[in-house]
Amino acid sequence: MALLNNFTTACLRNFQGDRLHNQLFFVVRALHKSAASESYGMSTAREEAMAERLITPSDAGVKTAVKTLKDMPGPSTLSNLVEFFWRDGFSRIHEIQMEHCKKFGKIFKSRFGPQLVVSVADRDLVAEVLRAEREAPQRANMESWKEYRDMRGRATGLISAEGEDWLKMRSVLRQLIMRPRDVAVFSDDVNQVVDDLIKRVCILRTQEIDGATVLNVNDLFFKYAMEGVAAILYECRLGCLEDKIPEDTQDYIGALHLMFSSFKTTMYAGAIPKWLRPIIPKPWEEFCHSWDGLFRFSLIHVDKRLSAIKDQLERGEEVKGGLLTHMLVTKEMTLEEIYANVTEMLLAGVDTTSFTLSWATYLLARNPEVQEQIFTEVTKTLGPGVVATADDVSRLPLIRGLVKETLRLFPVLPGNGRITQDDLVVGGYFIPKGTQLALCHFYTSMDDENFPDATDFRPDRWIRKDSTDRVDNFGSIPFGYGIRSCIGRRIAELEMHLALTRLIQKFHIGVSPLTADVRAKTHGLLCPSAPINLQFTDRKN
Amino acid sequence: MALVTVFRRLALVRLREYTRRSAAVGPSAWLTGQRSFTTGTQTLRSDNKVTIHFINRDGEKITVKGSPGDSLLDVVINEDLDFDGFGACEGTLACSTCHLIFDEDVYKKLGPVTDEEMDMLDLAYGLTDTSRLGCQICLTKSIEGIVARVPESVADIRQSKDGSS
Repeated sequence: MALLNNFTTACLRNFQGDRLHNQLFFVVRALHKSAASESYGMSTAREEAMAERLITPSDAGVKTAVKTLKDMPGPSTLSNLVEFFWRDGFSRIHEIQMEHCKKFGKIFKSRFGPQLVVSVADRDLVAEVLRAEREAPQRANMESWKEYRDMRGRATGLISAEGEDWLKMRSVLRQLIMRPRDVAVFSDDVNQVVDDLIKRVCILRTQEIDGATVLNVNDLFFKYAMEGVAAILYECRLGCLEDKIPEDTQDYIGALHLMFSSFKTTMYAGAIPKWLRPIIPKPWEEFCHSWDGLFRFSLIHVDKRLSAIKDQLERGEEVKGGLLTHMLVTKEMTLEEIYANVTEMLLAGVDTTSFTLSWATYLLARNPEVQEQIFTEVTKTLGPGVVATADDVSRLPLIRGLVKETLRLFPVLPGNGRITQDDLVVGGYFIPKGTQLALCHFYTSMDDENFPDATDFRPDRWIRKDSTDRVDNFGSIPFGYGIRSCIGRRIAELEMHLALTRLIQKFHIGVSPLTADVRAKTHGLLCPSAPINLQFTDRKN
Repeated sequence: MALVTVFRRLALVRLREYTRRSAAVGPSAWLTGQRSFTTGTQTLRSDNKVTIHFINRDGEKITVKGSPGDSLLDVVINEDLDFDGFGACEGTLACSTCHLIFDEDVYKKLGPVTDEEMDMLDLAYGLTDTSRLGCQICLTKSIEGIVARVPESVADIRQSKDGSS
């Protein structure tokens, strides 16, 4: 999911200074109830010329001139190409976002080949854009995803579908996995996976000389996240945290790694015009190959559950089960739609969770006083050694704060995309319908105006004094906001809250001497640029 | 626009379907972690309807009745109240478009606010100290006759806003 979104944030460069502050009252007349366009268009790249044509004196409205995209600062196409292709800008997307927001202001345009992108890095403007959304917001151009699915006769899922198809599936799925109370029922399932995670930590550390270090914790958290999502999605265990991982699971992990390791090439798979494929075949081939692997795995597990249900029905037994069973029995989506959605949800739910857990434990290890503060809260609230459930999390505000603060400092999606579905006026600029926007979450979450001492790791900044105390805002919305926000949010939160609570209860987490400063890099998602090696020492309970 | 209208209508229809469905496969079935799919006897709701007064964005008072257990969002949907953009995520705590404002004494009667609701309220437009999300407030006899005000819409406010950000 993140691949394309980040692609859109990629194009961040300007050529002139901050013109935002120079002037001008303007009229935000176009937001939401746009005057000009009525149809549900989805064209992607728009030319500035278009904007000029669309602006008429009556559009400009009551007060003063609305500027056009032509007036908006932005880099030359050439400098953007150099930045990304010669200077490996893809792995520094988040840093480039910071540099250029600081240098040029909080709204600017850039070009990536034929694609024009308008970057929005102001908290309030991000809010305006998201609040102006319609019923089926579009994130980015997903044509290559759709093309693969058409070619193989597969359906689209929540990431790749658009418009009415998307809304139909979203309406079904959000009723199943978006409400916190619906997700809380998975608490025991997730806790069983946490049991295995803890056991795995204990096994792995015995393999190191100091008896404490776990090398590259992300590898461990990747398996935890995959096991956790699968336990919920497939209603079965995969064995990721066992000594010997079953073969089909290993194949899947291979496909997933291929999907992410070939991030750049799969990016190009979408960007390279079809007629060039015979000359440069590799990106598209790898793209298809990794999708084949991902779909194959989902098919195995969905079919397994389906045949079990059929057997039960034939025997006249009552069919009971969790999420997948519900989907298969109620048939609110077709079988192909179920395949597509579990495939895309598993893809979206593994790295995202594992990177966040890696950063959270890294930050805890680097900030022992914060770790003690959270340990104290957990112990006082739960009592020594008591396993937390979903219902306990509300009594552990620092655990919630830890996840929020980790995602503020390291938002897995440093930027998100939107294709405008109305003519909008954002930050004083007229932006025609069909423009690709990049919402710069990394910048807004590191902005001192939004979060004082923004580089400090302070989970307690999220603690509320009472229910009218407001501590959050559009500056840090790691799961997005609104109708197209992350559908797996509550599942991911549950997995992270329960895992972190237990890790903090059981271990003192320290940085291994093998690990120096670990910086973030963008590889589709914002991820650690080097292995994070941590020491897990038993707490005395 | 036509297509968008269709979407909106579709969303409403779905929500209504869900409201019915949620009565059949209720949260209690879900809470065990196991859903049963063979039966669905809907319990008859009592006739003890609860009266709610909404004040819409034009300042008009609209008085409707809802069944105990329904949320204020359910009432808005069931009664076809036309509050533009209200309840976009269908009560799944992913947005804050069912934001409602209450008088202080009423607010105190509405019961505790969950963390997730507070997080979403933080993102609500025109937030006040007595704001709640309509999807999180269930009708009970104790809130009979309350007044719930729909905040001004985002677009209306924006037209007078200056853009220096």
